[in-house]
Amino acid sequence: MKRSARLITILVLTFVVSQTALAQIEYERPVDVAPTEEDIGEGYVTPAVQRPLPRSTLLNITDTVLLLGAMGISAWLGLVRRSRTGIVVLAIVCAVYFGFYRKGCVCPIGAIQNVAVALTDPSYAVSYVVIAFFFAPLVLALLFGRVFCGGVCPFGAIQELVVLRPVQVPRRLDRALGLLKYVYLGLAIWFAVLPAVERDFIICRFDPFVGFFRRTGPAYMLIIGGALLVLGMFIGRPYCRYLCPYGGLLAQLARFSWKGVTITPDKELDCGLCAESCPYGAIEKLRAVRTSCLSCARCYTACPRERAPAREDASAESHEATG
Amino acid sequence: MNHETTRRELLGHAVRGAGLLGLGGVAVYLTAKADDEGVWVLDTSKCVNSRLGATGIEACELCATSCVRPLSAVRAINDFEKCGRCYICPAYFDVTSAVDENGLPSAKLCPRDAIKREPIGWVDPDDPANNFYEYTIDEALCNGCGICVLACKDPSGLGSIRLEVRYDLCLDCNRCSNAAACPDDAIDRKPLSRAGAPQRHPAS
Repeated sequence: MKRSARLITILVLTFVVSQTALAQIEYERPVDVAPTEEDIGEGYVTPAVQRPLPRSTLLNITDTVLLLGAMGISAWLGLVRRSRTGIVVLAIVCAVYFGFYRKGCVCPIGAIQNVAVALTDPSYAVSYVVIAFFFAPLVLALLFGRVFCGGVCPFGAIQELVVLRPVQVPRRLDRALGLLKYVYLGLAIWFAVLPAVERDFIICRFDPFVGFFRRTGPAYMLIIGGALLVLGMFIGRPYCRYLCPYGGLLAQLARFSWKGVTITPDKELDCGLCAESCPYGAIEKLRAVRTSCLSCARCYTACPRERAPAREDASAESHEATG
Repeated sequence: MNHETTRRELLGHAVRGAGLLGLGGVAVYLTAKADDEGVWVLDTSKCVNSRLGATGIEACELCATSCVRPLSAVRAINDFEKCGRCYICPAYFDVTSAVDENGLPSAKLCPRDAIKREPIGWVDPDDPANNFYEYTIDEALCNGCGICVLACKDPSGLGSIRLEVRYDLCLDCNRCSNAAACPDDAIDRKPLSRAGAPQRHPAS
């Protein structure tokens, strides 16, 4: 009995001592080279390291085709079919694909800076998809106005959807604020053409809405975006009208566009309902101003002529109007 | 249709034509230049977690926290060509933790338990220390913090683990927030051919 008690005490003591002395291992690297497949044995085969590829060319082509297709549909819906519902549906579909699925990359707005860098820095090249995304909406603007803004741009779409009770911004204030986007465009180009170390992609850094599409982002980004959306309930599309640098480029090209939004389908009434319906102040003297018209098709729904295309009118009159 | 509108139209056509030619010209110039696609690449020789000489430091975990993705597009990769398959891997175990009943450190190093340990090859049934172990990183759990990378670095390890930008996860932002946060400028945009990644399959 006494003996066994002593044994237990020794065992317990040994255990306690071992626990304290060996609290951590003396770590030393056991090998200097990786073991070969023969060392490991049993027909071991070294697994390949997973090396993912960048987005495939096929998917990049898909993106480009979808962009071109969406802009074509937007132009058709806005200028020919004159369908507000169609434009809204298209904008939502584009916001889902280019915004939420593609997480807002690549986007023509940020591409301004990439293109500016590629034009000035011989060692910097942009990819084909960036070139397509930057130039296609500009070409479309020369042909049909800002159809990219109206039905394709996800930024446009989310601002379009929050327009709640828009107020008409006084014309002069609207013009003055509209100049801000050219200041931003100038700054963006300035920061892009700086030497590589000082270069700053400010458009992407202060991108207001991409945080929503990614459902994450720096706090300031989400705050700016949230503030613009709240503002956008009362002032239609504040980012597009006053800040978007790409909108500035599109506006200047749309000035010379081949076709543009014509508010009434045939004959004008002097009712002015269209001008009141436009939350973007883009209708002056009952005409859509091509630089600021975002091709949203709201005015069509407000136009009495559109609702009852007057076929009972003398055909001579409509010939006059279209001729 | 009177003379005035015709002139206006002509002028309009001329401006549009000039605009299209100008845009086309710039696009063609850029297209000729764009022979290769740029991707964000992590240069291991610059990354503080794997750069030799940078010892006795805390792991830089900025890649895990800076990326715009909820789970960073930077992940740890174990290069099996280099891995020593150690019994006690300093990147798998926290070698400073207390020893458990099996004589192994009781704690794991990875805060997200993203490393799996499996005996491989001929397995000695009696002596687990006499075996080789495969350490596989679970890409779905890894957040690219780099703690294991620092622990595996020579001389404590063979430096088989490194951080890499996963191109399939990377959103290819213009302004990579990891690159902006990196204290050593280890992340840079490079043409794909110089990224060390396999080239795209010609058919894809």
